Amino acid sequence: MRAIYKKELKGYFTSFLGYLFLAFLLFFVGIYQYLYNFVHEYANFAYAVNAVATFFVLLVPILTMRVLAEERRQKTDQLIYTAPVSITKIILGKYLALVSVFAVGILVICIYPLILKNYGNTNLHIAYSTILAFFLLGCTYLAIGMFISALTESQVFAAVMTFLVILLTWLIDLVIEMLPTDHQTAYFVLLGCAALIAVLLYVLMKNVIFSVFTFLAGGASLTVILFAKPTLLDGSLERVFGWLSLLERFNIFRYGIFQGSAYFYYLTLTFLFVFLTVQAIKKRRWE
Amino acid sequence: MIQVQNLVKRYGDFCAVDHLSFSVEEGEILGFLGPNGAGKSTTMNMLTGYLSATEGDVLINGHNIYEEPELAKRDIGYLPEIPPVYPEMRVKEYLSFAAELKGLTGNRRREAVASVMEAARITHMKDRLIRHLSKGYRQRTGLAQALLGNPKVIILDEPTVGLDPAQIIEMRELIRRLAKEHTVILSSHILFEVNEVCDRILIINHGKKVVIDTPSAIVSMLGGTEGVHLCVKASTEQAERIFSRIPEVDRFVLETREEDREGFVRYEVLAKPEKDVCEPLFYAFANAQLPIYEMRPISRSLEEVFIAMTAEENNASNL
Repeated sequence: MRAIYKKELKGYFTSFLGYLFLAFLLFFVGIYQYLYNFVHEYANFAYAVNAVATFFVLLVPILTMRVLAEERRQKTDQLIYTAPVSITKIILGKYLALVSVFAVGILVICIYPLILKNYGNTNLHIAYSTILAFFLLGCTYLAIGMFISALTESQVFAAVMTFLVILLTWLIDLVIEMLPTDHQTAYFVLLGCAALIAVLLYVLMKNVIFSVFTFLAGGASLTVILFAKPTLLDGSLERVFGWLSLLERFNIFRYGIFQGSAYFYYLTLTFLFVFLTVQAIKKRRWE
Repeated sequence: MIQVQNLVKRYGDFCAVDHLSFSVEEGEILGFLGPNGAGKSTTMNMLTGYLSATEGDVLINGHNIYEEPELAKRDIGYLPEIPPVYPEMRVKEYLSFAAELKGLTGNRRREAVASVMEAARITHMKDRLIRHLSKGYRQRTGLAQALLGNPKVIILDEPTVGLDPAQIIEMRELIRRLAKEHTVILSSHILFEVNEVCDRILIINHGKKVVIDTPSAIVSMLGGTEGVHLCVKASTEQAERIFSRIPEVDRFVLETREEDREGFVRYEVLAKPEKDVCEPLFYAFANAQLPIYEMRPISRSLEEVFIAMTAEENNASNL
């Protein structure tokens, strides 16, 4: 794991990718910090960090597009997957290197609130809890980006897909606002989701019985709820799709509302995507 | 050292490797032979744990590659068909990374890197970017990587592809040297090469084992009957009447080609076991006043054996 970690980290700083990522990250933070704190004279650094979060859509693919796709394309994966190191450790090494590059930027960002403190009153609690949330949000996106990179051998495809998926995570907030709240629509949409999951499971596992069973079980429980307690489905779409909203959880930090559950949410999602990456690599050996 | 039991790899309906079983003893060089697409690389990728098998087991030094992958992989050095090198790294940097990946640290790593660079003769290239190396040097860098940590088993997939003749000879010598301390499996589609260096040869076709034996045994297996290619100025009736009178002739096959001149016939004449047909044919045709224009012994090389064996397989699978 150490070998992979060191090699990856070195790779980011011998190629231009690590510098490009950090330069863009700090450039955006600098601009928004100047804009919010100096031009508009808000005493809250969290506004600047919050604004930068939208740029993950550009920043994350820079770092994650090649992480696994390039190994596969140039066949160096034959070296690392035949080495006496488990795939989990290899993926962890790669992921930690990604996080480390990002952490360098975060360390620099951590200096800003202290500078602001020099010029008057600023709430360091809000600033640092937002920076932590920003870091964890970034880690989640990096895990998603790495997972996408594991699915292809084209860097370009990985970059574009990561861009679109991250874009989707902030468009979903707009979608949620437009969703109908009545239980009948919710029933049909959720039924559709169950069907989609069943199809996805079939594609991944090629097991007809299991997929059909998943769909029937999901459909049956939805139907039971529809007839037994339809109020449970009222507004359920909003709740279900709300699980996918990464940014909404982040946006409230700048108002000084501290939410430990958001940290937990990001960590869970990060863990899930690192796990999925390992599974995706293992699965490819079986194809 | 290596045991392969009933190895199967299926991609959907396509069976790339079909119930393959063999074993390799310690210190042996096994040549892996087969036409393109026969399943050589797939098998090697399964032996090294890069791909998983649909069915079957691979034991490396007693460790199952799927159940105890980290222990089994420790004993394997693998050079895939395309050397797994990072173009943006320098040779020494790359080997240091590979050594650390294989669990070598500190002084042991430094020594291991220096000794494999020596063995692969790339010490003078150690500070070059791999991107700037020729195919031959990349191949050697890949080989040096496979030798790191002195693994018991070395698996080489087409190690001489892309090398120039001098490098090919050098690579062969290196493989022979390696065999003194390691068990080696190497694949190739060049028969001469396999014949040169290997103790035993495994021929596969369509993912199935055709034969596994020593090179000489494989040649004698099909090369039992001797014979000649013959071209005479005669009609087919005349020639065949003469053949039937010679007791040494076992059978003959007409192989006249379109480009042969008018009035000439061409045959493949096979002798009965342990008999020679050259002299009887010469005298018989001379006595019949039919001049022989060409008489060439049939040589059964490994090449022909290979073609014959894989062709049999093809015919069998077409039936």
